[in-house]
Amino acid sequence: MIMKRGFKVALAQIECKRADKTENLRRIEQTAVKARKQGAELIVFPELSLTGYVVRDEIYELAEPIPGPATETVEKIAQKTKTYIVFGMPELSRKAQATIHNTAVLVGPKGLVGKYQKMYLPTHSTFEEKRYFRPGYQAATFDTRLGKIGLIICYDIFFPEVSRLTRLEGAQLIVCISASPATRRMYFETLTVARAIENTAFLAYVNLAGIEDGLQFWGGSRLIGPNGRILAKARYDEEDVVMGTIDYADIRAVETFVPTLRDLRPELFDKLKENAEKL
Amino acid sequence: MQARIERFIRDYVKKSGAKGIVLGLSGGIDSCTVAALSALAIGGKKVLGLQLPEKETRNVMDIKHSTLVAGKFGFKTETIDITPALQAFYKSPSTFDSSDKVCKGNVKARMRMIYIYYHANKLSMLVCGSSDKSETMMGYFTKWGDVAADISPLMDLYKTQVRKLARHVGIPKEIVAKPSTPALWRGQLAEKELGIEYERLDLILYGLEHFMKTEEISKQLHLDKALVGGVKRRWLSAEHKRRMLLTAKIEYRTVGTDFRLPRDPF
Repeated sequence: MIMKRGFKVALAQIECKRADKTENLRRIEQTAVKARKQGAELIVFPELSLTGYVVRDEIYELAEPIPGPATETVEKIAQKTKTYIVFGMPELSRKAQATIHNTAVLVGPKGLVGKYQKMYLPTHSTFEEKRYFRPGYQAATFDTRLGKIGLIICYDIFFPEVSRLTRLEGAQLIVCISASPATRRMYFETLTVARAIENTAFLAYVNLAGIEDGLQFWGGSRLIGPNGRILAKARYDEEDVVMGTIDYADIRAVETFVPTLRDLRPELFDKLKENAEKL
Repeated sequence: MQARIERFIRDYVKKSGAKGIVLGLSGGIDSCTVAALSALAIGGKKVLGLQLPEKETRNVMDIKHSTLVAGKFGFKTETIDITPALQAFYKSPSTFDSSDKVCKGNVKARMRMIYIYYHANKLSMLVCGSSDKSETMMGYFTKWGDVAADISPLMDLYKTQVRKLARHVGIPKEIVAKPSTPALWRGQLAEKELGIEYERLDLILYGLEHFMKTEEISKQLHLDKALVGGVKRRWLSAEHKRRMLLTAKIEYRTVGTDFRLPRDPF
């Protein structure tokens, strides 16, 4: 019998104390220690979990470079717990004084692994991200002891090309950190499944919980298998931490059943680019 | 929806550190619903409904309705007749004109605000408003009067939605069914003053909310374009009643314009 190589991921759906990095880092540590005890090797926190989502002009005071004090603290937590941790933070550019990215950070037992700067910044409805953030320009996939992990953030999931890019870079697990209010739940419940299926990859979606400035984050974090099945799901609205198990061997069967990667048509991408420029 | 509103109230009260909620209780559907939801959210013992009648508009049924809802949802009430305070005010300005019912009516709404905020202040409570989306969009309220509050849990629900919610929450039928009135003078009726019934008004407002053009709204609802246009103009012209006051843009960052800070306590 072939041993399955599986590992546990914790979807750490926390509520943040806004503009209080010390407290949020404490929550991250506490949650990570607890999740580790339950066997988690990867622990994922929501978008902007260092600061909370609705901090508006306070962002200029809260943003930090990477590496910086916050990432160093989380590195120590990862080292101590021997885990990989993904969390979100406002990242201050090292080359400017008030240029900020909405960034997902991946740290591991040996320190900082990498980061991803959100490409699609929602600036409509209640969202005002372009007012505060500079978009990133590249997809991010990292080779870790837990396989190849691609990072995306929230609204990126509406644009299949971001997930696709990480998949083409080899990502077996796409981690999507999010701060999605309840009015958007239906979109995310659909798109998380779609991104997993179309890429035949695992997808870990971790959303914020709690209420910030009237926005009620719907939680509902989930781990989705490459066939679109929901493998683990956190409670709606409230804080919750749930575990899911990832076994990349499962991808093989799905890739033969619906071979979306085999059937990719690169020539369409040129046409897409051409037409998108003319929209 | 009920759960979301209750969570919102509970969360805000907790974060603000307030000891409870005080609200004006007219006996109408909006204030009864918001009082019931507040009691469900944080417990009736922490909710105080103030009944503030005055002699010109006193209505026994309204007081009965308030008491009924308070009993059902277990929150506290207190009745204070504001007539003496109003009469003292009426005597004071040389320009006071008793026949101008709008100006006089607004004094009543603002007087109630003073009573409500006094209690909130004294008891370390939050003021919970009961404005709905229909009247807020139409500007059908008294500036700094009935709209004055710390939170307004129903402000994103149209009147027709509040009616459904009220029924769902268990507000007695006779309260849901009675015609809305700000009760600033005897016989005042909301739909008569607005010139349109809520069922149609809410559909127009819904269209405006969803960026629909006036023509499209009137076509889809088979309504006169002038009627829809009138609602739109009224909605636009009342923005000054809904926002932080406008100032001349002079400096680097400006209150109400580009000081962009979170509004809830954190």
